Amino acid sequence: MGEAVKPGAVEREKSGGAGNRRKWGIGSRGLFRRVVIGVPFLWLAGLFLVPFLIVVKISLSQTAVAIPPYLPTFGDPSTWWSGLTQLTLDNYVWIASDDLYFNAYTLSLAIAAASTVLTLLIAYPLAYGMAKAPPAWRITLVMLVILPFWTSFLIRVYAWIAILKPEGLLNQLLMSIGLISEPLVILNTPTAIFIGIVYSYLPFMTLPIYASLERMDHSLTEAAADLGSPPLKSFWTITFPLSLPGVIAGCFLVFIPAAGEFVIPDLLGGSRTLMIGKTVWLEFFTNRDWPVASAVAVVLVAILVVPIVIFQRQQARVG
Amino acid sequence: MKSLGSIRRDFAPWIDPASSPFLRFEDVTKRFGDFEAVDDLSLSIFESEFFALLGPSGCGKSTLLRMLAGFEMPTSGRIILDGEDMAGIPPYRRPVNMMFQSYALFPHMSVAKNIAFGLKQERMAKGEISDRVQQVLKLVKLEDYAKRKPDQLSGGQRQRVALARSLAKRPKVLLLDEPLGALDKKLREETQFELADLQHQLHTTFIMVTHDQEEAMTLADRIAVMDKGRILQVAPPAEIYEAPKSRFVADFVGNVNVFDGTVRSATGGRVTIETTGGFDIVAERDVGVEVGQRVSYVLRPEKLKIAAEPISGPNVMEGEVWDIAYFGPVTSFHIRLDTGAIVKVAMVNATRQSPLQLTWHDRAFVTFDEDAGLVVTQ
Repeated sequence: MGEAVKPGAVEREKSGGAGNRRKWGIGSRGLFRRVVIGVPFLWLAGLFLVPFLIVVKISLSQTAVAIPPYLPTFGDPSTWWSGLTQLTLDNYVWIASDDLYFNAYTLSLAIAAASTVLTLLIAYPLAYGMAKAPPAWRITLVMLVILPFWTSFLIRVYAWIAILKPEGLLNQLLMSIGLISEPLVILNTPTAIFIGIVYSYLPFMTLPIYASLERMDHSLTEAAADLGSPPLKSFWTITFPLSLPGVIAGCFLVFIPAAGEFVIPDLLGGSRTLMIGKTVWLEFFTNRDWPVASAVAVVLVAILVVPIVIFQRQQARVG
Repeated sequence: MKSLGSIRRDFAPWIDPASSPFLRFEDVTKRFGDFEAVDDLSLSIFESEFFALLGPSGCGKSTLLRMLAGFEMPTSGRIILDGEDMAGIPPYRRPVNMMFQSYALFPHMSVAKNIAFGLKQERMAKGEISDRVQQVLKLVKLEDYAKRKPDQLSGGQRQRVALARSLAKRPKVLLLDEPLGALDKKLREETQFELADLQHQLHTTFIMVTHDQEEAMTLADRIAVMDKGRILQVAPPAEIYEAPKSRFVADFVGNVNVFDGTVRSATGGRVTIETTGGFDIVAERDVGVEVGQRVSYVLRPEKLKIAAEPISGPNVMEGEVWDIAYFGPVTSFHIRLDTGAIVKVAMVNATRQSPLQLTWHDRAFVTFDEDAGLVVTQ
């Protein structure tokens, strides 16, 4: 007895910051660590944060027949103060007052949520099968999941047009085997968007789930069986809960980009399904209304920040 | 007959013809592809026995345990537990529980939930479950740790939780796969005695797999020494140590000197062996041997006597002190005979100041009694 371990002691042992610093032979100021963290930090600040702040600024501006097509601009320092006073929240008010934007947001989130669930339903059994495959096969199976990335994303989405269109490969196949007599209308419907998203994002769901299943100790399910739990029950009480970090990571990796997806709904969904990515595109190029386009984008980021924060909290807790 | 070792045992159902075994392996074979993990093995284990399967890694001991748990199916043969043939019974319906070498504690459940897991499968009433959990936690002295998660426990505590979890369902047989393997030496010694006490208290049949002969000797009522899928000898620890049936058993359990040779004469109670080292050994004859037969004489280091002065009589060897290791309770000498062979001698340090002063490269004389060692034919 008397071998009590305080919670947290284990974590402290693992992180061992001081030990690492000593290992790298660098003084207590951790110059090396600052550089290692600093470079990607500056990269993100310069290429993500600054452009985002510019977009925020444009969203507070007003359209103008000018180049660039909005006012105010901050070229001459003497006009900065008057420029600041011209910034307005009008664009946000406009978005809030028009149903079109609200519908586009809800449709985007609904499509993203539904396709995340569909992707999960396909990816989980796939990842489970991969994790249970003989170890020698696993590398090959992971390669097969990654393989589609070797072809351009755009080309793969175009390929789906050839498959899904009324005279496409799928309809030809179904008609030749006599399953249907009339071609199915899939292209330019929400169904085609689901197919496109599930297909494109499947690896992002499969790989984290596979990773969490693969590193799971096999003796845990044996222990569950040994203690009287039949296989299916062991899955729900042991395997699934322990793979949750992978499931959550996968869901966010699918949901977040799917909500802002532009290419797939544009190419496969037709003009009737107006998702938010398409809305931004229309405002920007067709209406030439940069401020409203920017406001729509900023609101989308704000909506997605919530799940990202939840995601990061979850990751921090797991780690 | 003189008793072997220094322990008198009251529990010995295996010598009682009236008692019937609780668990039987009947001609069990297990093949993995071309590899024969368990080779036509038969074994009987009795109720309330603490049984150890001892052998080097890959000898089939773990496979035997896993077949009993139901994780592997025998290629042929039967396993009969308490009169019931285990064939076709999945692991989750077998009245045995296993303590895994890795402990296999569910990381997302508290200690109490881990222990309750098996009880919940039996649809036991809630109050009864928590009573039982408290009971086994008390048994392993972890009452205060019920709410902890496994990663908030030390290695020794995790081992106890694993033990508690496998005991909670009161299995007919408890299977222990290298139960103390992951503990450090000091903790292992403490835990050994606790495990033995626990088994005496519960009267559950324990079957333990281990590669550590000391662990098997300390804990088990009987030990089965295994090699290459076969059982070489099943006997109580003292018998395994003092009367090994083969060179392998003698060599695997404890330290031993082995002298190979040929029987030159076998008269009455005595046998003379001409060893390949060029000297003769006169030994008590307790196995049937014939003149001319190739045999080995196995001799434990602590049964040899060492002296600095020449000794007269049979069974004397002379050589040079090659190595000395002082362990505290014993001092171990390696004596290099003139033939080049090394003889290991363990001298018990019965007094604080040894009358024997030997150092490296001194001449030393080694002798042993006629009944000190054992003639083995395998």
